Amino acid sequence: MAINRRDFLKVSAGTSGSLMLSLSLPGCSGMPTGYTQETGEWKPDVWLEVTNTDEIHFTLARVEMGQGTYTGLTTLIAEELEVDPEAITPKFAPVAPEYRNPLYKLQLTGGSTSISTSWEPLRTAGASARQMLIMAAARIWQVDSADCSAAQGRVLHPNGRDSLRYGQLVELAAKESISDDVALKPASEWKYIGKQRGRLDARAKSTGTAVYGIDVELPGMVYSVVTRPPRYGARVKAFNESDVSAMPGVLDVFEIQRGVAIVADKYWRARKAQDALKVEWDNEEALSLSTHEVFASYRKAGDEDRGESERSEGDYEDSLEKAERVFEAEYSQPYLAHSTLEPMNATVWYRDNSIEVWAPTQAPDLGRIAAARVTDLSPSDVTINTTFLGGGFGRRLTQDYVEEAAAVAYRIKKPVKLIWSREEDTQHDLYRPAMLHRMQAGFEGSKLIGWHHQIVGPQLLDWYVRNAAPAQYPWAPKFMYDTLGKVGLLAEGIATPKDMSAIEGAIEYPYNVDNIDVRHTHTDPGVPVTFWRSVGYSHNGFAVETFMDELAHETGEDPYQFRRKLLAGQPRHLEVLDRAARLANWDTPVAQGRGRGIALFKSFGTFVAQVVEAGVENGVIKVYKVACAVDCGQVVNPRIVEDQIEGGIVFGLTAALYGEITYEDGQVQQSNFHDYQLLRQYELPEVTVDIVQSTEAPTGVGEPGVPPVIPALGNALFALTGKRQRSLPLKADA
Amino acid sequence: MALSLTVNGEQRSLDIEGDTPLLWVLRDELGLKGTKFGCGAGLCGACTVHLNGQPVRSCSTPVEFAVGGEVTTIEGLAEDGQLHALQKAWIAKGVPQCGYCQSGQIMSAAHLLATNPAPTRNDIVAAMTGNLCRCGTYSRIIAAVESVAGGPLAYDASAAGEER
Repeated sequence: MAINRRDFLKVSAGTSGSLMLSLSLPGCSGMPTGYTQETGEWKPDVWLEVTNTDEIHFTLARVEMGQGTYTGLTTLIAEELEVDPEAITPKFAPVAPEYRNPLYKLQLTGGSTSISTSWEPLRTAGASARQMLIMAAARIWQVDSADCSAAQGRVLHPNGRDSLRYGQLVELAAKESISDDVALKPASEWKYIGKQRGRLDARAKSTGTAVYGIDVELPGMVYSVVTRPPRYGARVKAFNESDVSAMPGVLDVFEIQRGVAIVADKYWRARKAQDALKVEWDNEEALSLSTHEVFASYRKAGDEDRGESERSEGDYEDSLEKAERVFEAEYSQPYLAHSTLEPMNATVWYRDNSIEVWAPTQAPDLGRIAAARVTDLSPSDVTINTTFLGGGFGRRLTQDYVEEAAAVAYRIKKPVKLIWSREEDTQHDLYRPAMLHRMQAGFEGSKLIGWHHQIVGPQLLDWYVRNAAPAQYPWAPKFMYDTLGKVGLLAEGIATPKDMSAIEGAIEYPYNVDNIDVRHTHTDPGVPVTFWRSVGYSHNGFAVETFMDELAHETGEDPYQFRRKLLAGQPRHLEVLDRAARLANWDTPVAQGRGRGIALFKSFGTFVAQVVEAGVENGVIKVYKVACAVDCGQVVNPRIVEDQIEGGIVFGLTAALYGEITYEDGQVQQSNFHDYQLLRQYELPEVTVDIVQSTEAPTGVGEPGVPPVIPALGNALFALTGKRQRSLPLKADA
Repeated sequence: MALSLTVNGEQRSLDIEGDTPLLWVLRDELGLKGTKFGCGAGLCGACTVHLNGQPVRSCSTPVEFAVGGEVTTIEGLAEDGQLHALQKAWIAKGVPQCGYCQSGQIMSAAHLLATNPAPTRNDIVAAMTGNLCRCGTYSRIIAAVESVAGGPLAYDASAAGEER
């Protein structure tokens, strides 16, 4: 990314004598911020402030949900500023256009983009601040700034003896102008980037002092719970208000858009009052389907409509004519819940005609729209305070929980914390969509000449644009929100980026095949869906890499070698594939009673190959080993990369072994961790992660560990049992 | 009902319905937010605290069961300003990702080491299997517990500082 420094960095002096740097990333600040220059106080769009007492404040524009931005982004600033990352105090960003994710033009954290989009700008900001501090010192000493250097928060005099603390220099440094020719440090001089380092939030998270959304405490705070309809889309017809109002501690009971809200002085009293609540639902517009009907409707849609062509190379139809052998398979994947360990919650205070929200959110600017939408207030009247997130995985990109809490707070006019129970969190989630894949491949002799992949299912922006479109135009009047949402959908792929959520990973099919035909049949059964760790890659990975495995077996080839042969000209794919195979001793026989499976999948710019060793013990699938090779370009913190990849593997295995949300007559059948299981400690396989040393630009690691492990496990079970499983979750007795 | 219990060594008295889960008493009445709500059904372990030296799921332990008892939470694990050896290991090994489950994980591990100072790998896995981690920090948890096992534990006052 080529950035003109003067265009995106601004320098200013705090009245208390500090150096403040603001950034505006390309495409982020096409509008005024709406903030006035405050005096002496933290200015909302400031990214970096060095005070005269040597405190360094860094605004963290990407939220911390476990993926490591708190440490990783701080490391980028620290490296160039020449301070220890531990010396920097990160704080979560308020809502401002400067803090938008330049890829989405929204202030959201997702898509494994935090490091890749911050890599250049944050290092540049750190280097610019360092340069201004050096120039200030050079002016004091009357020496050439080129002869000075910086280290550990000080500028060093050319004489090798004298030095000045940054705090002593900030007032003067703030008067320097930003230079256009500050060189970033060469990799050979990095002290922190690429090194094994701990997490800056580990202490707070090991002592119980990290503040998550659910931990926010306000004076006079009350608690709310909401009863939502068992069938999505049902409306409240009637409820026994007086019975519930009479329960101890109950302050109010009333209908909100999503159901019936109860407010009580204590959380447990609100829950007990909820037991007494009886709601009669109007199910006219409610979901009434069952899961098997979803797949039947997908098959019908797929039969009737071959779908939009999303990638076409050569002439697939023609290759089919020529093919001597044609293989076909159909794959399906269920709805999946996010199951963040911290359930959905938000705390909201409505007073003085403004609303303040404290929430664990991946999209604070969408939260602002959500709060404005259900009140008479404008987005500019809404302040969002982001906390640590107890897991995100895409769930907290949607702001339904903020919307509910804002509606309750607006009526009750007291600080109120709304908490979802685990059952509510599981049953009123927006799910990873159920999907159907139809695959076809043609061979001429042993040569794969044609590849066809038809994806059937919904697109996620259909569900997301409602709040996202207004968030891009926060000054727009609220009566326009629905129109903005509709226009946003119509403009998708034309004026706004194309919705890749159904097809990502399928259209980047990496194998050298002359005739490729990838299609998407867009159909939506009305089940609420959203982004889920690794999004479209999560289901396309299973379809593509299982079918590749089937083709290898059908043609009598080794699944590793079969892939290898088709990867000429794809060196990074090949490298991770070879490394994973080597790590797993692919060429040696596997132990009796075990099978080995391999899969390779690139997602979010990161190349990942995995080999799973699995078996069946006492009627239960047992995963023994996962060998994984990953190429994510330049590594900022190897330990966090390893953690994220391993976490992705656990997340993927959870989906492969257990993940399944089912509907019966419009109602979700699962409710808590007994019937929506997560992988437990005793099920953890031996995981080995091999990270490729690379000088390519860094890519994301939060999600790419997930997709390959699912097909790799299925392929391992096939190797063991000879039975192919084409739907998830995998079963021991298939 | 009026009741009292000892929390992190301090006697606390309050007036609350006896069926209120200990979790909400700790969090909302006593301001100890380090103990987390995860499932409300004793399935995830995020709310694990020690009651009279035993690990309990505070989300499904009515406070009346804890009357007169001694409760230790994550906030009470440090002694004399010194973090528990497990907390130090958690930081050194970089265990937490989102961190939400880690108070519960540490409390389960602390009980294991208090009763079995030199556990085997199997002992650790068995003791930690009731604690879910959605981020998948499981291998780091094992590494952190193993790094402490056999060493001194700040939590057991009588054993603090002793080499084992």
